[in-house]
Amino acid sequence: MGVVHGQEMVLNIGPQHPATHGVLRLQVKTDGEVISEITPYLGYLHRCFEKHCENVSYEQVIPFTDRCDYLASMTMNFGYVVAMEQLMDIKVNDRVEYIRVIMAELQRIASHLLAIGVFGLDLGAFTPFLHMLRDRERIIDLFEMTCGARLLYNYMWVGGLSHDLPKGFVEATLNFLDYFEPKVDEFENLLGHNKIFVERTADIGIMPAEVAINYGVTGPNLRASGVNWDLRKDNPYSVYSKLDFNVPVGKGIKGTVGDSWDRFYVRLQEIRESVKIVRQAIDQLPKDGDVHQSMPKKIRPPKGSIYSRTESPRGDLGYYIESDGSDTPYRLKMRSPAFTALGVLNEIAGGWLMSDVLAILGSLDIVLGEIDR
Amino acid sequence: MSEDLQKLIDEAVKKALAGDDEAINGIEDRVTRAKAKAALVKAKREQPNASEKSSTSESNEEQPAVENSENVTSKITKMLDYKFSDCLDGELHSDFIQLKPEYWFEIAKFLKEDPDAYFDSLQCNTGFDLGDGMLESRYNLHSMKHLHSIEIRIKVNIDNPDIPSVESIWRVADWFERETYDMFGINFTGHRDLRRILLPEDWDGWPLRKDYEEQETYHGIVVPKVKEGWE
Amino acid sequence: MGFLENRFDDNVVVEKLDKLLSWARSTSPWFFQFGTACCAIEMMAAAASRHDLMRIGIIPRSSPRQADVMIVAGTVTMKMALRVKKLYEQMADPKYVVAMGSCATSGGPYWQHGYHVLKGVDLVIPVDVYVPGCPPRPEALIEGLLKLQEQILEGRPLTRKTG
Repeated sequence: MGVVHGQEMVLNIGPQHPATHGVLRLQVKTDGEVISEITPYLGYLHRCFEKHCENVSYEQVIPFTDRCDYLASMTMNFGYVVAMEQLMDIKVNDRVEYIRVIMAELQRIASHLLAIGVFGLDLGAFTPFLHMLRDRERIIDLFEMTCGARLLYNYMWVGGLSHDLPKGFVEATLNFLDYFEPKVDEFENLLGHNKIFVERTADIGIMPAEVAINYGVTGPNLRASGVNWDLRKDNPYSVYSKLDFNVPVGKGIKGTVGDSWDRFYVRLQEIRESVKIVRQAIDQLPKDGDVHQSMPKKIRPPKGSIYSRTESPRGDLGYYIESDGSDTPYRLKMRSPAFTALGVLNEIAGGWLMSDVLAILGSLDIVLGEIDR
Repeated sequence: MSEDLQKLIDEAVKKALAGDDEAINGIEDRVTRAKAKAALVKAKREQPNASEKSSTSESNEEQPAVENSENVTSKITKMLDYKFSDCLDGELHSDFIQLKPEYWFEIAKFLKEDPDAYFDSLQCNTGFDLGDGMLESRYNLHSMKHLHSIEIRIKVNIDNPDIPSVESIWRVADWFERETYDMFGINFTGHRDLRRILLPEDWDGWPLRKDYEEQETYHGIVVPKVKEGWE
Repeated sequence: MGFLENRFDDNVVVEKLDKLLSWARSTSPWFFQFGTACCAIEMMAAAASRHDLMRIGIIPRSSPRQADVMIVAGTVTMKMALRVKKLYEQMADPKYVVAMGSCATSGGPYWQHGYHVLKGVDLVIPVDVYVPGCPPRPEALIEGLLKLQEQILEGRPLTRKTG
């Protein structure tokens, strides 16, 4: 058989593109339709978060952390607050801890719903996107009832919360969970077992476990490759050690372990587990307790540094805070999970076709605000 | 998946575990080859998996994490002092290890491959401006097998900020080091492609240093805040 | 004009050509979804099931050549500012710009120490409507778009402007 000699073509995707989850530029070297190399170019949303943190006080950092990963603001606040409370040695009461877990898990459900919906939208499935956003709006209604904001909450403060739960929150949440649980099965049938979706995502973009650990990938992407690593179980913070839930791990049901369908399915399973956690947390929620009880009058941590990690919907969120004893942080670094997830794209996307690149990118679930900070 | 295909994959994995790499590379169909490679990784993972599960349950039930990390830091300090003479910089600390930049590459290789340390994941790399003309690069390492973590700090002078790059050991360090270079100007020698990652290529200066001054215009667009009278 | 009034049946309308053109342009402005940051999520939510933008006739398009309105949603950085200008120039006349959110209006919460943030998108392209908020609610965005429709209705495209 004769061999056709081709020339490599360099193609540019972005920075403005409907399917790149924000402003990301991908320079793709292709040989016909087959990809040989992808180079991501970042920095189109670099908003100088770390420079701002060095110039404002510790309380004023919290709205900035909201805006980094805008799809999961509660968990971004949570990570910062856990790090600060470890640094300052503050212990909060149980009511605050349980409310924080409820908010974080509801936020995890909302973030995964959007991630899966947009993944389907990238591949052309418009209906599941509308269904999932409809249910996400109901979660946002719950958040709006509590703290007044739809997207960027500024809810968790160092030593407590900004507002207590309003009257009727618990009933509204339980109503929502009863309505929502059968919908997850609907989504699984609508999108997950759809023949076109399976053909486009199974066996595509396989990420073996060793590659994932070497590239620092964490969260659902790592769990889809078969590694059982979840910070809520392996390094528990807050009251996660008192709650009972499973950690879903990719098993290669429709194809190989670690392909894009696995990454989608792990997120779907995590939605189910989060529903379980919220129910338990509401059961165990103490009836009384002041949410402003342990809040210090002035946040002035002792000299020292700390690196603490929590589990955000995208993976391992780490905060490295160094304080020099004054009102403003000396250095604050946020280790974002989506940064490392984007770094592995070149490794797993070589050899696939152009239309598979967007499937792989959608399955990694990146948010540019967090990557560029 | 059909039975023959499954048998072919199982045989290839068995051969590869015994040391014959050609068995998997010889499979012609790309999808089957990928499946065989993934099955091989899973099989290799299942061997240390048994020991990982038991160590998880032990360390969760035992003492709190603080004591473990102190022991680990002093243990690793002793190991490094014994193996690489004159690598420690300054006095000993209880929660981090201060190293000199010259031997960092060999030490990092040792930390990753030694079975007692086995730090296979670099969690975070932070740059620091300590003032007084000193820059620092801090590494947080974690072991997925033994579940312990340490912190390593390396100080360099601002006039000659050269640190060996570890991106061939932990691939995640590739982008972490590019970001530290972008923000502080620390030069990582041996990096395959050290250039700015977040700021544009023609930006002036190192923003996160304490003495950074913003440039006045960038391609004709005014940079600093314009509405002066509003404060 | 008095010569033609009330001479015909009710289904004949007599009007200036100016007003006819601006009426036709205002009722279905297709927008170019240029979302960069958090405001993009609220723009998506405005186009989704609950606050349905499409019932007003406003459809999202992904290419600048097919759009009338560019909604700049989110922070624009220096690196992106050059590309925003290029995208604006790729749109066909008549084109309008809506600056959504505080970051596009004036730099937002990053105005003080943000060395890489463009303090307002009106430094590179002309803006017609500003929608404040961080992020603005979908209802606020819809109000902004309706105000843009009013502005287009009042515009007189065929009249020569003096001064």
